[in-house]
Amino acid sequence: MEVSLMGNSQANVVKTGLPYRDSRVCCSYKNKIDDKVLFVNRVSFLGQNRSANLRKAQLRFCTKASVQSQPLPSDRDSGPLSSARPKSLDAVRLFVGLPLDTVSDANTVNHAKAIAAGLKALKLLGVEGVELPVWWGVAEKEAMGKYNWSGYLAVAEMVEKIGLKLHVSLCFHALKQPKIPLPDWVSQIGESQSSIFYTDQSGQQFKGCLSLAVDDLPVLDGKTPIQVYQEFCESFKSSFKPFMGTTITGISMGLGPDGELRYPSHHRLAKSSKIPGVGEFQCCDRNMLNLLQQHAEANGNPLWGLRGPHDAPSYDESPNSNSFFKDNGGSWESPYGDFFLSWYSSQLISHGNCLLSLASSTFGETGVSIYGKIPLIHSWYKTRSHPSELTAGLYNTAKRDGYAAVAEMFAKNSCKMILPGMDLSDEHQPRESFSSPESLLAQIRTACNKHGVEVSGQNSSVTGAPGGFEQMKKNLFGENVVDLFTYQRMGAYFFSPEHFPSFTKFVRNLNQLELHGDDLPVEEEVTESVHTNANTNIQVQAA
Amino acid sequence: MSTVTIRPLLPSYRRANLNFRDRTNILLKPNYINYSIKSAPNARRFCSFKKLQKITVSSSTSTSTSPATSTDTTPVRPGDVFFKETFPLKRTHAVEGKMFVRLQKGKDEKNWQLSVGCNIPGKWILHWGVSFVGDNGSEWDQPPKKMRPPGSVSIKDYAIETPLKKLAEGDVFDQVNIDFDTRSDIAAINFVLKDEETGAWYQHRGRDFKVPLVDYLQHDGNVIGTKSTFGLWPGALGQLSKMILKADTSQSGIQDSSSESCELKQENKHLEGFYEELPIVKEIIIENTVSVSVRKCPETAKTLLNLETDLTGDVVVHWGVCRDDSKNWEIPAEPYPPETIVFKNKALRTLLQPKEGGKGCSRLFTVDEEFAGFLFVLKLNENTWLKCMENDFYIPLTSSSCLPAESVQEMLIPGKAEEATQEVSQTAYTAGIIKEIRNLVSDFSSDISRKTKSKEAQKSILLEIEKLAAEAYSIFRTTAPTFFEEAAVELEESKPPAKISPGTGTGFEILCQGFNWESHKSGRWYMELKEKATELSSLGFSVIWLPPPTESVSPEGYMPRDLYNLSSRYGNIDELKDVVNKFHDVGMKILGDVVLNHRCAHYQNQNGVWNIFGGRLNWDDRAVVADDPHFQGRGNKSSGDNFHAAPNIDHSQDFVRKDIKEWLCWLRNEIGYDGWRLDFVRGFWGGYVKDYLEATEPYFAVGEYWDSLSYTYGEMDHNQDAHRQRIIDWINAASGTAGAFDVTTKGILHSALDRCEYWRLSDEKGKPPGVVGWWPSRAVTFIENHDTGSTQGHWRFPGGREMQGYAYILTHPGTPSVFYDHIFSHYRQEIEALLSVRKRNKIHCRSRVEIVKAERDVYAAIIDEKVAMKLGPGHYEPPSGSQNWSFVTEGRDYKSNLANTRRG
Repeated sequence: MEVSLMGNSQANVVKTGLPYRDSRVCCSYKNKIDDKVLFVNRVSFLGQNRSANLRKAQLRFCTKASVQSQPLPSDRDSGPLSSARPKSLDAVRLFVGLPLDTVSDANTVNHAKAIAAGLKALKLLGVEGVELPVWWGVAEKEAMGKYNWSGYLAVAEMVEKIGLKLHVSLCFHALKQPKIPLPDWVSQIGESQSSIFYTDQSGQQFKGCLSLAVDDLPVLDGKTPIQVYQEFCESFKSSFKPFMGTTITGISMGLGPDGELRYPSHHRLAKSSKIPGVGEFQCCDRNMLNLLQQHAEANGNPLWGLRGPHDAPSYDESPNSNSFFKDNGGSWESPYGDFFLSWYSSQLISHGNCLLSLASSTFGETGVSIYGKIPLIHSWYKTRSHPSELTAGLYNTAKRDGYAAVAEMFAKNSCKMILPGMDLSDEHQPRESFSSPESLLAQIRTACNKHGVEVSGQNSSVTGAPGGFEQMKKNLFGENVVDLFTYQRMGAYFFSPEHFPSFTKFVRNLNQLELHGDDLPVEEEVTESVHTNANTNIQVQAA
Repeated sequence: MSTVTIRPLLPSYRRANLNFRDRTNILLKPNYINYSIKSAPNARRFCSFKKLQKITVSSSTSTSTSPATSTDTTPVRPGDVFFKETFPLKRTHAVEGKMFVRLQKGKDEKNWQLSVGCNIPGKWILHWGVSFVGDNGSEWDQPPKKMRPPGSVSIKDYAIETPLKKLAEGDVFDQVNIDFDTRSDIAAINFVLKDEETGAWYQHRGRDFKVPLVDYLQHDGNVIGTKSTFGLWPGALGQLSKMILKADTSQSGIQDSSSESCELKQENKHLEGFYEELPIVKEIIIENTVSVSVRKCPETAKTLLNLETDLTGDVVVHWGVCRDDSKNWEIPAEPYPPETIVFKNKALRTLLQPKEGGKGCSRLFTVDEEFAGFLFVLKLNENTWLKCMENDFYIPLTSSSCLPAESVQEMLIPGKAEEATQEVSQTAYTAGIIKEIRNLVSDFSSDISRKTKSKEAQKSILLEIEKLAAEAYSIFRTTAPTFFEEAAVELEESKPPAKISPGTGTGFEILCQGFNWESHKSGRWYMELKEKATELSSLGFSVIWLPPPTESVSPEGYMPRDLYNLSSRYGNIDELKDVVNKFHDVGMKILGDVVLNHRCAHYQNQNGVWNIFGGRLNWDDRAVVADDPHFQGRGNKSSGDNFHAAPNIDHSQDFVRKDIKEWLCWLRNEIGYDGWRLDFVRGFWGGYVKDYLEATEPYFAVGEYWDSLSYTYGEMDHNQDAHRQRIIDWINAASGTAGAFDVTTKGILHSALDRCEYWRLSDEKGKPPGVVGWWPSRAVTFIENHDTGSTQGHWRFPGGREMQGYAYILTHPGTPSVFYDHIFSHYRQEIEALLSVRKRNKIHCRSRVEIVKAERDVYAAIIDEKVAMKLGPGHYEPPSGSQNWSFVTEGRDYKSNLANTRRG
């Protein structure tokens, strides 16, 4: 424990020093003395630092000139795969998600006092940063192109002041609990033009995000959704310019429902049943069907393009309740099945590609890392057909690796992959669901390794999966290298006596594998980063 | 622009001070005094700050004919305003006033009157008690009933709280008068002054005000008089002169923010009247606002910025402009607004113009459009700067700029850093950490000391983390109450056999307090209780709370001395084991009443103070908190309130905690206790309780956190949120490992039942108004205990209303505790019926309660949709319809209660 706190915060000091350095001008010797004290006070939660760290922090002010002009390189720039990263010696960078409704639709910060206290606690605990969901329906609520970032800026400032990092999740979807809708003007368009939403085989619509089929159609008052997303990102970038690359270290691009790269195939699952059904294909809106039709005609099978599979079960049903997903002889293995599933999944991947390349080009220069999130659809994984994954658009079966293409797409856009469900273990899944979160996770990670995509982890269960912390630890150490881990999510339960102590314990355990504080200088010389430069400068100055 | 020597700035600030004082009758206390005495480093900085002021500065002599004035008259067109924001300005002021203590003869020689008053506005409470002739030591006792002024409330068995009131309209002083009879055997009246608004206690490190009343003191008095501070009345004499001296320098009050304390002493041999006035300082928060609006002047293409504030007096805007986001201060080219000077070539200082009508002041600023931002701070006087969240105000000047009202990191004026430092160190706790860091800085050369230091620092950081988490938790819980409570309930329902945790037991516990204040009298209580074990179990109780088992200076057991000696007036250790076994046999759990806050000493130290312990835990005075001078402890400051009658144990000491944990484990293993009832947990931090509970893993634990409810003019306030929040805060500090007695609910029941004010039983959100409404699973509800009732009767439940009280707590969520005296009384049958309703319907600590009616004469609620209950004379029938309700039980008194269960 002793070691962990010290070591961890040492890294923090190095990083948090940057913004201060930038904003500082002058000064006389006297002012520097004051700066020291000021600095100490402002980041007083860094109290666990060894004195040596403080000395560095103070002295670094002198090195301002030499460092200021250097942009902070992101991990991406430091070479492909960052393979030089020493495994497991480098403690996991831990982030904690802020409440989903941190910023209200009136652009005020909800429970700001609690968040302020929470941020301090996290900082003291040695957490690296926080994740902030930024909602399309909040920032661009009223009219297209009319952005209001004030609430989010206020949060960013709070986070920066505390000295934490910020990972921003750009959310282009809506949420039911707490209720965060799509922008008002988008919903209005949707009322007259319902084909912008996903539709299932019974004609029911999912209004939680736009259908990927309209990505390039000018359905939003003459603009395509991709253009609107792009402008949203541009506006975000310019508004948060002072934080980019310093406080904001990562941005996740929303890719679909819940921000994940998938179809909303499971949105009508009854909550009561313990065993999730297989879900439904979402290809019955007009635009999806158009695309399917074109594809079918191009393949010489125009009849295949009339509708989706006719023999797929509905949301709550099990794979065997209809013939499409049957383990043996199901239509999924037929040429038609392969035709449909290939098309269905490739649409999803090109949608993801489109958004990630957009994000990459928009934020490429800012020094932040770009992330996209992949779902972990683990139920029915142990069947041959993997029906739940198929309906979600991930063409992964016993015969076919559906994640290679996804990983490749991430690699192409130099994006990192967020994988949820790191708290889920096989033994706690109901046996009847043929679920295996652990194997699925392993499969995706293998694909990522192969294509050099860095993985960052998340937990899925909000109320704490049984054995969740143990499972997370397992997933973060050993062979399992993660870029960072985002723990979801701050709120009443998070700080409750039932939960917070075990989280604290988890954090301390995470850091236990860190180097002893005394060994850190050596370690720093090995890693090639601007931090090292700064430190060398310090040593020179101090000598 | 011309360079001139500095204009003597001070006079104008002084003027500001005076203005301020005239307006609000508040004495503005220069901040630097605070800090100059606070610690050496600050003082040093302060000196350098002062020197800087003597530096020559250049100042512009602006004329009224400057072009800037012409823009002053440009009419504001609202459509052009692209930035408008109002910022709050908050600052703390020390209000100085005085309090007086007067002792005077009443209508004759025998009846005298002590008056205490205070002239600072506020809700003042006199917290007082008496010492009787023959008492040795410094214990307080409750004064006789007839001495208590109306509106007094008992605080446990040693004190009274009486609110101060204005005796007549127009009185400057709030005061309280205590009449007493000189023939009584009261030796002294002790008191402290409490400010309900801020929660501050006006005592100085545990030194109470003491007014000796009898000749009896004369010889002691003489002794003390010569011995200065130490003696039978520790700190009583010699202290007075010292305190007043300190007060005169007007520093001590601020130093520890709890202000003055004093001890008064009659040195004369016979009672003689006196009148003393003492300065007193209260910190209040003053809130103002400043509004800024920005618009473009279409004619000149300049930016016009209007700044308005409701501050009065001479308000100086210290300002500059910047070109980009880096927010580097720059001075724009002339012209400047009138009454502007250039300050050290780095900023401009402009005096705001008083608004017409005298309410606040404002000024219009003109800035070239090349600048992107306007930076400023407000200066009231040399020591009072107002800022935006401790940083400079930043106003974006281009409409495209997207960063509104940002604050900047740094400002180039001397003294800024000092102020920031001072402002940051707001709480004593944070200050502690900062100190810790400073120590680290100064010690870093030594590796070894560094290691130990950082270990300490980490410990305090962990504590700080817990405190912050508890704070965040309490806000999240209350801002999203439905979410939390529903979740909790669902969780509960999905797994009926709830997890056993010390805060709740199984969730289905029903406590019996197995003794009263007289139980020690027979000398064989354990054996008497043993005979009742089967009966209590069959009534439906699952937990029994036994009296404190240790050897004790007082027969009731609450003044423990040798913790490992379990011979008490209730029986010896073998009898104790016997009764514990018996209760285990009948299937009940046993709570030990453990007194951890204080412990009586075996021996005196070299000054004759009782603070050396004997027995197996032979602690010395390091185990005693330092802030109660009666006991001259050498430990740390107490982490809670002090109990004045015995040495308070310093739980921050590792060896103390280790010993206590060992002792508790011994009680668990040797005697067989299953859990704890923790006495006077107000006395130490809840985090330590958590430590003890984690070490002993009890089946159930409940803490006694008892302080007084909020009253206004002797009438209890409807909203007791602050009171229950304090209890919740304690449970939070203990991380929910223990429940707490729901004192709030008891207090509200008092008023509701006694005065027929049943509306009190619902809070503003339609929930139960006590702890049970906020955190039911941790609330241990009760209506009476050995202190409040029995033969002590410190806060007795309204007579004849007990069954309504039980009808409430036994049907509601929370864990109910029934008092022994009530079980073995004529109420027994009714209690039995209610217990059976609770058990049959499986009402538990998290049961859902829906309040149907909370009106003047009737309260009705439905619990878990299974049980309907009604209190009060008013009418209520449970809803008919799908549910069939069957009548179960009814109280005998006219205010009937009834509980119905659903059939089938």
